[in-house]
This record gives sequence, C-alpha cells and structure tokens, in this order.
Amino acid sequence: MVLGKSKYAADMIPEDALRLKVLRSSIPHAVIKAMRVPRRTPKIKAFITANDIPGINVSSCIIPDRPLLAKDKVRCMADVLGVAAAEDIDAASNFIESIQVQYEPLPILTNPFESMKNDAVKIHEDGNVARYLKLRKGDVELGFRQADLVVSETYSTQFQDAAPLEPEAGFAVPGPRGSVMIVGSMQNPFYVRSAVARILGVHEDKVRVIQAFTGGAFGAKSDEVAMDIAGLTAVVALRTRRPAALVYSREESMILHSKRHPFTIKHKTGVTKAGNLTAAEIELVADTGAYASNGPLILVRALVHATGPYVIPNVKTDAYCVYTNNTIAGSFRGFGNPQAHFAAECQMDMLAEKLDLDPIEFRLKNILRLGSVTATGQILDSSVGLEECITKVRGASDWNRKRSTWKHDSDRMRRGIGIALLYHGNSIGPEGVDRSSANITIDRRGKATLRIGLAEYGTGARSGLAQIAAENLGVALSQIKLEIPDTLTCPDSGGTFASRTVVMGGNAVKKAATVLRKRLDQVAAELLQCDPSMVEIREGVARCRSASTQEIALRDLVKSCLSRGVALSETVEFTAAGVSFDEETSQGTPYLQYSFGAVVAEVEVDPLLGAVTPLKLTTAYDVGKAINPLSLEGQIEGGAAQALGYALMEELVHKDGVVVNPSLGDYYVPTSLDVPEIESFIVERPGPLGPYGAKSMGEPPIVAPASALINAIAHAVGVRIKSLPATAEKIISALEGAKS
Amino acid sequence: MSRHVVVLEVNGRRHRLRVESHERLLDLLRDRLGYTSVKEGCGTGDCGACAVLVNGRIVNSCLMLAVQARNAKVETLEGLGTANKLHPLQKAFIRNSAFQCGFCASGVMLSAKDLLQRNQNPSRDEIRKAISGVICRCTGYMKMVDAIEEAAAEMRGETVG
Repeated sequence: MVLGKSKYAADMIPEDALRLKVLRSSIPHAVIKAMRVPRRTPKIKAFITANDIPGINVSSCIIPDRPLLAKDKVRCMADVLGVAAAEDIDAASNFIESIQVQYEPLPILTNPFESMKNDAVKIHEDGNVARYLKLRKGDVELGFRQADLVVSETYSTQFQDAAPLEPEAGFAVPGPRGSVMIVGSMQNPFYVRSAVARILGVHEDKVRVIQAFTGGAFGAKSDEVAMDIAGLTAVVALRTRRPAALVYSREESMILHSKRHPFTIKHKTGVTKAGNLTAAEIELVADTGAYASNGPLILVRALVHATGPYVIPNVKTDAYCVYTNNTIAGSFRGFGNPQAHFAAECQMDMLAEKLDLDPIEFRLKNILRLGSVTATGQILDSSVGLEECITKVRGASDWNRKRSTWKHDSDRMRRGIGIALLYHGNSIGPEGVDRSSANITIDRRGKATLRIGLAEYGTGARSGLAQIAAENLGVALSQIKLEIPDTLTCPDSGGTFASRTVVMGGNAVKKAATVLRKRLDQVAAELLQCDPSMVEIREGVARCRSASTQEIALRDLVKSCLSRGVALSETVEFTAAGVSFDEETSQGTPYLQYSFGAVVAEVEVDPLLGAVTPLKLTTAYDVGKAINPLSLEGQIEGGAAQALGYALMEELVHKDGVVVNPSLGDYYVPTSLDVPEIESFIVERPGPLGPYGAKSMGEPPIVAPASALINAIAHAVGVRIKSLPATAEKIISALEGAKS
Repeated sequence: MSRHVVVLEVNGRRHRLRVESHERLLDLLRDRLGYTSVKEGCGTGDCGACAVLVNGRIVNSCLMLAVQARNAKVETLEGLGTANKLHPLQKAFIRNSAFQCGFCASGVMLSAKDLLQRNQNPSRDEIRKAISGVICRCTGYMKMVDAIEEAAAEMRGETVG
C-alpha cells in the first residue's frame, strides 16, 4: 500500500477489455415509451437492454423490486436502461449520449409523507410502504400519566453519501463452457456470485467472483451497485467473448450507489421530576428512495435502538420504510442506528435541559446497566460497559468545569460541550441466520493459509483474523497467509457488513485453528513423549512444558503429521445462537451482545456566521476485547470523521428527484482541516459472542458523534438544531428565531 | 485530434511520448506508463487521489493536460521508496497504521513530501493544511498527522522508533 503497489479493480483491467458505459434515466418517474438507438459504429461491440438479460433481470437486496435494467418504467434517476460496450470509453460515452429515450412523465413523490397519502401514485404495485414494523412494551398511556413532564419533538436527517474514495469498478472475463470470472470492488463476493448466476440464468458454479483490493466501501458496495457492475460486465463478456470492464465516474457513483436513509423521527417522552423516564412513543419514517435495498433491515435496527441506551418501562414505536422517487437508500455504516441515536440523544438533552439537570447526571439515572431490561424486553445479562465509558469521557474532557464555565464566555466566539451515548447490537441479529466459515491449511513448510470469504476494504478486520489464527496455532503472524476473497477458493462466511468480521469470522477462525492445534499437539506429544495438554507451540517451535529442552521445529512436526496421515486442513462453520424476536411486538432478544460508547464533543460557534469549529472529540467504547488496538483506534477516528460530516456538512440534495450535487466539489466530505483531535479510550467488558469476548467496532464509532456535536452547539449558543446537517444557515435562522 | 510529442521525466526515468490534446497527465501516468498508484477518485480536482509532484510541487494530475507536463520532472508514489529502502514517510505510515483502504495513500504521501521539502519542522496545523487537498474517507486523518510528524523528525536526523 505504501509502495503504491496495491492493485484495485480499475488497475487490473485487461488490455483487450471492452469499456462499458451505462445509460441512465433522465427523469425520476416515468413510463418508457420508446428508445431510439442509432446504428452501431464498428467500435461499439454491444448495446444491452433488459431484453438481452439471459436470466432474471433483477438486481436487488431484500425485496426483488428492482430490475438490473429498466424495462417499462423508470422510478428514479438511478435507474439504468442499458449499457454500451466499446473499444474505448469515449466511443461508449458518445454512443450513450446519442441514444434518445421517450418518456411519459409520472407524478414525482419527493418525500415519504407524500408517498403515504392515500391518493399518491403507486411507485410499486404493492404500494408505497415497503415495510412497517412496530414495537410494543408495557403501556405508554399509563407511562405518560406517571410522568411529570412530557416532551414532544420531531427530528430529521438527510441522505448521506458513503463517498468511498475509490469509485465502483469491476470487470468480467469469459471462460470456457459459459463460465465467467469477475473481479471487482465489493464487500460480498458470494452475494455477487448468487446475483450474477441468477442474472445469467446459470448455476453458481459457472461464476467465479474475486474481491479486488477495495478502496473504501462503508455499505455502498454491499448493495446493488456491486451486483450491477458484475452482472452487466458478465452479460457483455459472455455475449462478446471479450473481457468487459465498467468503472463508474464519481458522478455516476454518487447517483447510482445506495445512500444513508433520511429519517423523520418523532419522539414523545415522559419523565418524572426526579429525572426517571416513564414512557416513550416514537415514530420513525424512512425514505428508501425508489427501491427498498436494505431498507427493511435498516428499519429493524432503527426500531430496536430508537430509545437510545436507556431503561424505559413503556415503549410504543412505529416504523415505516417508504418508497419515493429519490435515488436509492440502503446500507451505510451504522445501518439506521446513527439516525435513531441522533433523535434519541437530542431528545435526552432536551429533557435534561427542561428538568434543569446536567446532561450526564440525567443520563446516568436512566442508562442500561448489567441486569437492565431494554426496549425489546431483553435482559442484559452480560457485558454492559456503558457507565465506565461515561466516566472516562467525563474525566478526560474536563466536562464539569467546561459545562459550567463556558456558559459565561463573553467573547464573540461561544464554546460548547455536549455528550451522546450509544449502544449497537452486534452482527445481523434478527436479520437472518448468522454463520461464518473458515478454512486453515498448513503446508509442508509450516506456513498456514487462512481462507475466508470476508472482505477487506480498510477496516483491518482481516488482520485481526490472521492474529487470531496465529495466536491459536502458536505461530508468528508472518507465517499466516491470507488468501484473497475468491469464491473459488474460500468458504462462504456470510457478508462483510454489520461489523461481523471479527465477531463471527473470528469465531470460525478460532475454531479451525483450535482443531488443527489439537492435532499438532497430539503428534507432538508422541514425538516429545509427553501429554498433549503439556505441548506448547510458540514462534514455530513445539516443546513440552515439563521438559522444555526437547523441541521440534514446526515444519518437522508438520511433516510428521502428514506422514502419519493426520490432515492439516480444516474447514469449520460457526453459527451464532438463534435470536428471538416477536414480529408483532418486537419483543425478544434481537442481538446476542451490544457494543456501548460515549462521545463528548467540544465546539466553538460563531453566532454571527453560524460557523461551527469542532475543537475536540473524546470517545470511549466498550469493545469487549481489543484484538488490534491500533486498528481499533483507526475505526474510531474514521467513524468520528464520517459522523462529523453527517452532523455539519454532508447532504446529498434531491430536488424533485434529481440529485443536485453529485460531485465532491459540492458534497462536502470532511478534510484534514475539518476533523479535530480525537482522544479515544478503550473499555473492555468481554461479551458472550465474539472470540475472546470481542465486540463489533466497525460501525459503533459513527453512531454517537453527530448528536454529541449538536448537543455541544446547543450548549454554546442556546439553540437546538433538529435537522441534519447543522449548517450555518440553520444555526443563524435558529438564533434569529430565538431572539424574536 | 492532433498528437503532440512530450518529453518528460517520471521518477527519474526519461520518456518520450505522443499524446492527444485532451489526454490528462493522469491518463499518461496510469494508462501509458503504468503508474497505477495514481488514482482517479473524481476527475474534477476535488479529491486529491490523483495528486503527483510536478517539478517538486503537488498537483492534481486530473486537472493537468499531458502536454502541460512537457519537460517536467514528475514523481509518483512508486518513486518514493522501495521495499528494501523505504522512505521515512512510508515507514512512519506503516508504524502508525495510518492507512486503511489505501486509496488516498499516493495523494497524502506526496502532499506530505511536498510539505517536508519546504518545511522540515511543521506543526500539526501545518501538516493538516498540507494534506487538506486529499480526501480520506477512512481514517479521520489523526494517524496520518502523527506519521508525518514522525517522518519529519526522522528526516531532521532525530531518532525515532
């Protein structure tokens, strides 16, 4: 990587590959009346439309509501009508531009509330609500009667673009007997393989998918685009018998890939004078754009976590995932939890303010602790490190002093300090069966190869897997080779999402390594003449603990194993215990363990300009067990930066369904000048699920910082921003509103 | 489309090429000369993934035409160091785990080199400013700033880890 030698998908395109360009819809909602395609010049080798898809013309996530290529109708600007393949990209682009499409416009639904009206046009046959979920615990009416104070507020969030620095790219190479090999920038090679097999109408064995070095993903490359690129290049490759490559421009990337769901969240909360929560009534409405993507699952996570990490005896939550003619909303780090926590943590701050209680003191009266019951009725019987996280950030940020003295800042610049807490259910929980497989094979030289279908795109999680393998085999990390994620050579380990690589993959790796280790110990014991339980393997040498003078080099031990017919290759499957989750009431145990955290944000606000300068973020996370602390810090800092962008400057704007700012010049991703110093603390309360008690830490770092920043702004200038991003215009407007 | 002859030096090697009028320096480096460390992240000069050093100064190669690089000395990441002889920046980035997906590696390290050539003892703020032309979506920049500070110290002759 530091040598510039890492090859990403677009760096490996074969010399003779055809270059593809997609034809996108130029209108958000319409019937396709006609398409006038000019005669193909010699450079244009193929133009594929819906009719040319050999198998099933579908590329979607949960609900099969999305065609790979639009046929009769377009439902958003991200719809693709066809793809041209040419000798060079300019020829393909020119051809695409010369195609004329006749549309019959349909009404455009720009937000979920329009879509939910009875007379709204139906974007999909079955109606505009893709999913509805409800959670019922206790009796909220009783709870509100018990409250001394009831506060109602509405919060809203925006489309956030994942903006991975590498735009989506991939290529397909045709093989013998209708087979095809695909190399691409993606998160889930096995999902892509299944999708492509369906699109081609062939058995999965005909499709080989290799995940190339991927330059950031964050969820966008988990959804439709990876399957689209693989599917379209495969169709072209098999048709033309040439390799076919598709690389999205940044503009295409930002329009076509899935974004974070905008949510409108209503909170009605009841609390006693003493500061104890009695009831919460919450409504979550998510804009999933024209296709559901992973919306139905994002809705589950948002629903489960909507109260924030607190004990509330009576909870009533309704959640809707709604179609509009905006572009697609789907997976993005946090998966509904950043939205849920933005609302929950702002609401908690508002309550504290009205009760005249310190925000931390108020939260401490209500947080989840060991033995607490969550909003889904789950008893947290292990590993709840939330209070320790709060204690750490409170001390390190000098909260008490700043909270009281900064109120009296007399400068034009006003400083503020705010806090937000979070909890995040680990892995996929109620979204499906959670299983992961791994293979470890030790060769004659004593080198171990780890094969696992989980992908690397910057999380560093795969290094954690190698560490676990090394630790359990008793070899140095340098002796572990990680095979690239290739559906031909690696077992299916489930998707690389939900921060499950270390928690689930790690368990499979640990299990495989342990099995092999037992076999090595058995043979070593024979050779060293001691009990297998006394065998110690460290740094490639096996010894008996009792008589440490005798030793065998690992490679010799391996040779002995092989000559004795002891197999040194093991594939293991790890399946998480099932979760229970009632569909009607959403009561049960949706996740087997939770990550917890606390974030304190300090800001300086210029009330004349509405400008916010973040000064510092202090974070503490209960990670269960830190497998690789440096890597973990990287996730914490990176997640904080993305949350900062979410809070203050990022918004992918749609106007009547058209994306207005699909460029990095007009969509503001935080730069090194925008992100302040971040201090992070790691709290370890080993959980029941992960190896060594490890918990998910890919997503949790993006969940809380946004509300911490908004709460800090409120402390600085006395106004509360209830919709993200908190732009200068909104702050000035709120200040002017407060004055009048 | 006319073709122009351009002579330039890349990582110390002299090249003589015929380029099209509309060819960008980015295309010349990546497609013609095979320096794939130079990445296209946006094509509009907003992300810095394509940044290279031209005559010692950092430039977005997607905004420069190949013909404009006539007689220039260009440096890409491939020229910074080798596996056997890593540049202090490369060592520091590895030590600090300062990259995650690595796509911004070229832009950031070359921006840092530009800075350290002009300022041997930059403050953290100066470092942040120097790399602010490159978007990193993964790391939050903290460890990059740490790494560049350490590399600067090593380059000044101070001992480091």
